[in-house]
Amino acid sequence: MGPTRTETDPGFRPWRPNVVNDLVVARDQVKYEQLAYWRNPMAAIFTFLFPIVFLVVVGSSAGSSRVAGTTLGYDQYVVVAMITFGLIAACYTNLGMTLSLRRDSGVLKRMRGTPISIGSYMGGIIGNVLINVALLTVLVVAIGMAFYHLHFPYHVVAVVVTLLVGIVTFCALGMAVTILITNADAAPAVINGIYFPIVFISGVFYPLGSTSVLSKIANYFPIRHLILALVSAFEGGPGSGFRIHDLVVMLIWAAAALLFTARRFRWEPRHR
Amino acid sequence: MVEPAGPASAGLGPAGPAGEVAISVKGLTKSYGSFEAVRGIDFEVRRGEVLALLGPNGAGKTTCVEILEGYRRRDRGQVSVLGVDPERRDRGLRAKVGIVLQECAVDPYLTVTEAVTQRAGLYPSPRPVGEVIELVGLDDKAKARVKVLSGGQQRRLDLGLALVGNPELIFLDEPTTGFDPSARREAWDVVRGLCAEGRTVVLTTHYMDEAQELADTVTVIAAGRVVASGSPDTLGGRDHGQTQVRFGLPDGLSLGDLPLPGGVNPRVRAGFVEFSIAEPTEALHALTAWAIGRGEVLSGLAVNRPSLEDVYLELTGNAGQPDGASAQPDGASAQPDGGPAQPDGAWAQPAPRPTRGSDRGGPTS
Repeated sequence: MGPTRTETDPGFRPWRPNVVNDLVVARDQVKYEQLAYWRNPMAAIFTFLFPIVFLVVVGSSAGSSRVAGTTLGYDQYVVVAMITFGLIAACYTNLGMTLSLRRDSGVLKRMRGTPISIGSYMGGIIGNVLINVALLTVLVVAIGMAFYHLHFPYHVVAVVVTLLVGIVTFCALGMAVTILITNADAAPAVINGIYFPIVFISGVFYPLGSTSVLSKIANYFPIRHLILALVSAFEGGPGSGFRIHDLVVMLIWAAAALLFTARRFRWEPRHR
Repeated sequence: MVEPAGPASAGLGPAGPAGEVAISVKGLTKSYGSFEAVRGIDFEVRRGEVLALLGPNGAGKTTCVEILEGYRRRDRGQVSVLGVDPERRDRGLRAKVGIVLQECAVDPYLTVTEAVTQRAGLYPSPRPVGEVIELVGLDDKAKARVKVLSGGQQRRLDLGLALVGNPELIFLDEPTTGFDPSARREAWDVVRGLCAEGRTVVLTTHYMDEAQELADTVTVIAAGRVVASGSPDTLGGRDHGQTQVRFGLPDGLSLGDLPLPGGVNPRVRAGFVEFSIAEPTEALHALTAWAIGRGEVLSGLAVNRPSLEDVYLELTGNAGQPDGASAQPDGASAQPDGGPAQPDGAWAQPAPRPTRGSDRGGPTS
């Protein structure tokens, strides 16, 4: 038989998790999420390639005519809309797909059997999303500045804060949507089935008159508000660029999604 | 794979005085809706011991193990794992427990080394990553992505992930399902090594030979209850059960010509004589002396104890049957008197078990 340990052995000391430890684990988790993300062709294509391709296709056919209610030209508007599109893909779609796949394959269950804290694990996943949104935004803005007459945003703070509120909201919605998904096979249908109709009526692919019926419906959902808040932040001119009303609507959605998630999120595949 | 008790791991080996109770379960019950999955289970596992939980699908063993692992809440009863109630989901406890679930659950886009390193980072005193990869025989796949591994290799990685945290207690849920025979042998060596390092192992399995090879104690669960518990060699009265004797009936002879002991109820099937007997020494002596004297050959002579599988089928076949319905074919029985299997020493729980008291004659379903 192996060595019998006593309380005096160094390996026997009781282990108590602490915050520093949890932060290190979360940082490592970000690293592994990034590794896995860039090796997964589907994730990279949906999050990165789609917004860029749409930007090139839609942006090239868009003129510089002024979009009603804004100081942006159509081509500039398309750049901002593609930042929104990319953010939603990186947060809502990616998180919804990743979490439901991991839940169904037992990865989440496995993690629950280790000493990792929920905060470190989810923190690692969200950290990965933050990096992806930052990269994509920089890339899209750079393309917009190079080819579509986009100016460097005058209201940088408003852009960053609006993006952060958008990330919180669409990550929360990405976690919440997994509750509606019974198994991973149904994940794309459920995730896109909810998302596509709303993204179309929210003016991501074409500007929307603010008095149109579609826009009134879209106002109930967070996507329209993210676009409007981002457009405002990218517009030049006086003011801070913030649209508090839009940010509040998004945060209400975020709070509802987080509450739903906290109550109903499942870590394990559905049984029998 | 290599023997796990290398010098590096020996120093890190887990702890606890051998013989101390690692897991204690008393009066455990769990229902899903109206279905009673676990109906009053008691058992104990001592440190350094390997416990095998056997039972048909749906018998309640996975529910039982998942309660011990902290995945499920119990309805009633007391459960202690390394001195802690697993329902509290204490992170300190999880740091001392390794779990292998049935499904391989690793990010497919990470490499073997990355997956093991990631897992090691979650534990206070992990084993060296390279050592663990070597231990489960994946050293030549260390740089391969998980998605290109074969099913068996993924299961071995799973085992490695459960071991990298240097656990004192390891749960293995059907650890060798899908392994080829040599991979199974190697996995068994790993488990034996863990045991030699003083770690405690709880494994569920469908393979009788696995339980026979590895377990100190085999506990058979059927229809939510423990129906037998004991060492693999004594389970269900294997050591007391009847011995089966079988040989080819010599040409031109009939049963009546043979010098068989009285009361053994012999029969001829497909040209072979078969009978069961509690103590075969004398009968075999008489039989072989007679054959040698006549210059006959007892072709295909075989003397068999009931296998663990016989005993298992016997025990689980009984469970869930109506009272007294004994699924007992013939002399291969572990129950010499045809009654419920309770020979001396085969039951590990001498304490009164009120939950079982009323249905000793065969649990009702």
